[in-house]
Amino acid sequence: MDIFKRKNRIYVPVITEEIAKETLIRCSSCGRLINYKDLKNNLNVCPYCGHHFRMSIQERINLLTDTDTFKAINSDIEPLDVLNFYDGAYYKNQLAKVRQETGFNSALITGKAKIDGVDVAIGAFSFEFIGGSLGFTEGEKIVKLFTYAKKNQLPVVVKFSSGGERIQEGVFSMLQIVRIIQAVDVFKEDGGLFISILTNPVYGGASAIGMLGQFVFAEKDAMIGLTSPRITQLAFGMNFSRELQSAEKLLENGFLDGVFERKDLKSTISKVLKIYTNRSLI
Amino acid sequence: MMTLLSFERELATLYKELEEKTGLEKKELKNLIEERLKVIYKSLTPYNIVEVARHLDRPQTLDYIKELLTNFVEIKGDRISGEDRSIIAGIGKFNGLSLTVIGSNKGHTIIERLKSNSGMIGPSGFRKIARAVDIASNTFKTPILTFIDTPGARVSPETEKEGSVAALSEPIKAFLKAKVPVLSVVIGEGGSLGALSLLVSDRILMLSYSYLSVISPEVGASVLFKDRSMKKDIAKALKITSEELLNFNVINGIIEEPFTGAHRNPELTIQTVKEALQKEFELLLKEPSENLLKRRAEKFEKFKI
Repeated sequence: MDIFKRKNRIYVPVITEEIAKETLIRCSSCGRLINYKDLKNNLNVCPYCGHHFRMSIQERINLLTDTDTFKAINSDIEPLDVLNFYDGAYYKNQLAKVRQETGFNSALITGKAKIDGVDVAIGAFSFEFIGGSLGFTEGEKIVKLFTYAKKNQLPVVVKFSSGGERIQEGVFSMLQIVRIIQAVDVFKEDGGLFISILTNPVYGGASAIGMLGQFVFAEKDAMIGLTSPRITQLAFGMNFSRELQSAEKLLENGFLDGVFERKDLKSTISKVLKIYTNRSLI
Repeated sequence: MMTLLSFERELATLYKELEEKTGLEKKELKNLIEERLKVIYKSLTPYNIVEVARHLDRPQTLDYIKELLTNFVEIKGDRISGEDRSIIAGIGKFNGLSLTVIGSNKGHTIIERLKSNSGMIGPSGFRKIARAVDIASNTFKTPILTFIDTPGARVSPETEKEGSVAALSEPIKAFLKAKVPVLSVVIGEGGSLGALSLLVSDRILMLSYSYLSVISPEVGASVLFKDRSMKKDIAKALKITSEELLNFNVINGIIEEPFTGAHRNPELTIQTVKEALQKEFELLLKEPSENLLKRRAEKFEKFKI
């Protein structure tokens, strides 16, 4: 079938330092060789076919916020292994390893920053931290972010890339969704603006939260849905076209306000923010 | 003959013999089977419990409604995209108490299961839940009772097109705003986001052989190992049984099923549930109604670090 051809593959490895040492990278979409420097200078977008590679969390912050304005908050909240989860390996150990590798305590970085001069509360999921999955720490940090934004009357921008609930935290990861929906609702009822940015991929409970923004924008090449085609295939033996979960399709079906190339994301958010902050209140 | 579960198969020959025997012999054999079952059910693994929770002969939402409610009038459709039969909602009387019931229903027969998508909830189902909650909270002002028995949210090309991602939060938002007491009972499968859509309540009860999980053990095994056969280990690791969740204070109580499972004695199970519901509603209705929303929000707020 066409959909399995190489050109449509979207799961792309992150460009690690190890890869970076080699000067040429093959685009997983068009198959052409790209000079590493060219790729970095082009926001990790293939200069030939426009395929959007993943970005590190630092690159993402640099892309979305004004230089040196990002200040992390609540980064010291530590993860928790309530279930003492063991599936042949201990989740505890997995957490320790990924914390060491990434230097982060959770899959979500939150903080305050400026976007084109406008103060915002901002969050960004890091897919490198256990698939950007949502557990205790992430739930707590989102709730705290929205509470902080409400208190300081700031708009919230959250960049999503998440596989969904953190399986290793069991039913508690699911209960975080209730807490988050509650916090977002309170924030929105207070007149708060929540801009949601969906980047590849956003699945499960994370997609439900991502859809709560008054503005929901997706980055080109993002896949958004309830379960990924891979899991749907493995779990239910069902194949359906990847296209159904593409950002373009969701836009067509009425679930997004826009799909943008990476280079246009910040200017789009900035337009919304400026209209919101400069409005004359009636 | 009843479908035997994987851990009951050692009794298959005895059950077969039972059909041939009569009189005193039959009674004796029946007792023997019961004794054996008692032993087996004393040491069920978490995955065994999942198997019991999925047994097709267990009483389902519609059975409870039929036995426990009078004057039941159904709430159908989401007024946007359709009628999702995986969700049964409506108003009725329970022991003289006006009540709104919302539950996921799997169906016993193949035809029923096809109509209800085996209890897997799609976007119109999520929106129907929200609509029923709104009616209960703002119009009838009745308490809400939810029955949870779903493998999870439905995944299909249609549900992705209709936007499960956008509909998922609707019931959660509605329950968080419901100005009436809400009681949830997990009667079978409490699968992932499907279960979550009926779980935002003031009190949660579970039947002893039901389960509540962020992901089905099979899908969990697929995600973590790309191997469904790891399902038994995952079921254990996820801590999904009523006893474990009571210890974690996620739920408020357990309704004991007949010792060999609800599917072997649906009538007794429904009776036990009825008694538990009576007690719960007595307690819930005694609580002052002011601060109800605040208390519910705080209840979920406590699931934090």
